[in-house]
Amino acid sequence: MDLKAAEKFRGFFFLASLFCAFFVIPATVHADEENSKCFVCHGKVDFANPLKTGKVISLYINFKEFSETVHGKKLCTDCHTDVKQIPHRNVIGKVNCANQCHFLGNPSGAPETMKYIEYKNSIHGKALFAGNHAAPQCQDCHGKHNIFKPSDTRSFDARENIPKTCGKCHLQEYVDFNTSIHGTQFKAGNKDVPVCTSCHGEHNIFKPDDARSTVSAEHITKTCSACHDKVQIMEKYGIPTEQVATYDESFHGIAVEFGVKKAANCSSCHGYHDIRASEDPGSSININNIPKTCGKCHPGANVNFAKGKVHINPKSKESGIVYYISKAFMVLTVSTMLVLIIHIMLDLRKRMQKRKGNRE
Amino acid sequence: MVKEGEKVLRVNLIFRIQHISLMVSALVLAVTGYALLMHKSEAGKFIINFLGGYESRALIHRISAIVLIAVCIWHYLYVLFSKKAHDEFLKIIPSISDVKDFFTTIAYYLGGKKSFPNFDKFNFIQKFQYWGVAVGMTAMIMSGLVLWFKDISMAVIPKWAIDTLMALHGYEGVVTFLVLFIWHQYNVHLNPSVFPMDRVWLDGMIDVERLRKEHPLEYDRLMSESAKGGR
Repeated sequence: MDLKAAEKFRGFFFLASLFCAFFVIPATVHADEENSKCFVCHGKVDFANPLKTGKVISLYINFKEFSETVHGKKLCTDCHTDVKQIPHRNVIGKVNCANQCHFLGNPSGAPETMKYIEYKNSIHGKALFAGNHAAPQCQDCHGKHNIFKPSDTRSFDARENIPKTCGKCHLQEYVDFNTSIHGTQFKAGNKDVPVCTSCHGEHNIFKPDDARSTVSAEHITKTCSACHDKVQIMEKYGIPTEQVATYDESFHGIAVEFGVKKAANCSSCHGYHDIRASEDPGSSININNIPKTCGKCHPGANVNFAKGKVHINPKSKESGIVYYISKAFMVLTVSTMLVLIIHIMLDLRKRMQKRKGNRE
Repeated sequence: MVKEGEKVLRVNLIFRIQHISLMVSALVLAVTGYALLMHKSEAGKFIINFLGGYESRALIHRISAIVLIAVCIWHYLYVLFSKKAHDEFLKIIPSISDVKDFFTTIAYYLGGKKSFPNFDKFNFIQKFQYWGVAVGMTAMIMSGLVLWFKDISMAVIPKWAIDTLMALHGYEGVVTFLVLFIWHQYNVHLNPSVFPMDRVWLDGMIDVERLRKEHPLEYDRLMSESAKGGR
């Protein structure tokens, strides 16, 4: 906090503290009462800290909302342990959720999870500890005085709010997602479509070129197929589910299976944040855009690339000539084998007859 | 004069070298191709990883393909431009007598005839194998080259044609392999008259006695030639 700005409010703080001392009974330990001391000032909507830069940091906290959060029964000073007196004379530091409460074996009853360790190893955590202050910390995604359970629509981490929460920093991705088939469906209230965390994970987010990432070349097929090979989800939208299996059998799929990263995976052709339906003229797999999309890897790709299906299942009649070739060869192979084996049997039988005849 | 108990040349050295090169390259192609077809099975995974991964499997497959293509071209030029080889080639061209031989053989198997028909140097089974290989190799080489140079070929022919050739390459490979593995194995290894192995492919020589039994027309021709030539 800007110290000089704080000085300006010193008189105000003093009066406020006098008010607290006289009108609030300090002996009660009930959180609401104890906290109400703080809300004398922090409960005022226009309570703010104007910085020299012209930016105004609001210090207002909605008391009613706070009392309904997961920390609603906590004392302000449970987290803000550096608040020792009113008015505050010291700079009030950031709360460190992991060190103060949410560590394994904590005595305060805070939920204990490995998520902090996951975060520490993630791209966000690594960036933060490397000194990048733009990297998100707990509060950036979870909120500060407005932390609710993810099932609560007011939570930053409620499914409804995830894209916005991530979009605070990842603006371009947010815009791309909003215009994609997933994003437009999401806005329409569809509960099946993925939000950021569905593909990227939560605390364990890695860069896409990191093999540990759920969206890396190694794992993207698995991530997409979490929904796209589930008949019960896809049949609602008329999206075929064999795309994953047919990809696995394609040259691209086999190459990726054996660790060739340059081979195309789902996102190479379909895009990622801005995935659109193939009928959409803006889709990378729209028939008019296929030459360009294939051309990313296959120099000289032209309109021929768009003449024919991409996800081919030789067992399905929709595959056209490939289906008939597959059927014809099945007949050819079986009948050839049959004829050859019959020949071998006949030949052996005759030889045995002859040998018997010779012996006699 | 060819005498009893002697051996005569049946396959010359160049044909034997061609046969061995074809055999080795086709085997490597079959194994590396099988691994790709069966990439989900343990065997397929093992072969691909054993060969050093996806890309080195492809490299080995293509090196073998170059050997096989070279053998095919060499063989083609050899039977076309060498007098000796061309004469041999004429003997393996199918004729009406092969159809007759086929039915006579069936009749023999079923007890209608007392013996095999009188075969020439190459019986109809051997001719069928030769031409089967010729057709198979042509199909495999053509489709294989299209797949190998995919960026060029895809710019020229539509994707569905590539997909068709890809499917054909796989299925034709399986048929060729099964024919060689089951039938050719039987004819040159497991057949009681040659078991454990017909050695012609190694030294090129055949017993005169066996020639007389299995290829009587060729035997007669050799006899008359040697009588005339006083060899």
